[in-house]
Amino acid sequence: MAKTQEVVQHDHNGPASAHGHEESTRFYWVLGGILAVVTFAEVVIAEFGEAWFGIPYWFKFVSLIVLSIIKGALVVMYYMHLKGDKKIYQFVFVAPFCIAVSMGLIMLVLFSGHSGIAG
Amino acid sequence: MSELSTTSTQAPSHGHGGHGSSTGVDSRKLGMWTFIGSECLFFTALIATYLIYKPVNAAAENFQDPKDFLGIELTTLLATLLLASSLTMVLSLAAIRRNDLKGFQIWMLSTIALGLSFLGGQVYEFYHLHDIGLSLSSSLFGTTFFVLTGFHGTHVAIGVIWLLAVYIRALRGRYSAENDMDVELAGLYWHFVDLVWVVIFVLIYLI
Repeated sequence: MAKTQEVVQHDHNGPASAHGHEESTRFYWVLGGILAVVTFAEVVIAEFGEAWFGIPYWFKFVSLIVLSIIKGALVVMYYMHLKGDKKIYQFVFVAPFCIAVSMGLIMLVLFSGHSGIAG
Repeated sequence: MSELSTTSTQAPSHGHGGHGSSTGVDSRKLGMWTFIGSECLFFTALIATYLIYKPVNAAAENFQDPKDFLGIELTTLLATLLLASSLTMVLSLAAIRRNDLKGFQIWMLSTIALGLSFLGGQVYEFYHLHDIGLSLSSSLFGTTFFVLTGFHGTHVAIGVIWLLAVYIRALRGRYSAENDMDVELAGLYWHFVDLVWVVIFVLIYLI
């Protein structure tokens, strides 16, 4: 049991590494549980939200987006260890991610209603 | 000389075969994060294309929504499998960082098994949809749906092969607490694949 609580502290690049945070395997299990609960909540909201709780579509839409952002952020920050990692790693991921999201939203606005090349 | 030069050997990262740089940044890890950043753009293009044509597809007479044929159960199972594989992946990395080779093998094999299960589920989904007449060329919806989910499935397949290669190398004693970068890089890729499914699951199957 003690083994699962063993603290994992890893430093790839010497003392200057930005890996300087400690996470135990128990933490990973707890995080896995949280992700499972959030996924369950997503499915309940999507499938039964309207029938069971009378949730309007806009609320369902917003809550599902927010929950997926929470899930994604948890995976990136803790499973991918980006939280507390070197700034350059954060930059080369976050910068294109922000560009991608912006471009995606712009494309959705500009081309919504587009009927395709055949239309 | 760029501050991010990866050719300098002034401060190489230990145990990684000299892939450090003058800034202490591991060039392979920097490359992997850059690759993941570019993959964000790639998948966003596919997801945006799917969403742009979703209203048009939904209004079409021959629209076939996968949810109506497969239900939410299968895709929820697939999402759970990938999330579970992310957990086992990070546990395998934690194990190798403790020099716990046995634990590493167990968690890495679990990750591979979960990845293969996901692929099996996706193959089942594709076959089932093909049986009802939905294919890559059957409609605009079929094209956008299969290109997006197919590219994701391809990434999962590549990830499984990569994890298998890491597992085999680990059996040969290549990795330890001081030399775990290969495991970490494979893990970063695998978590990203999971991350993409988090988005696909919500935008395509739930909303």
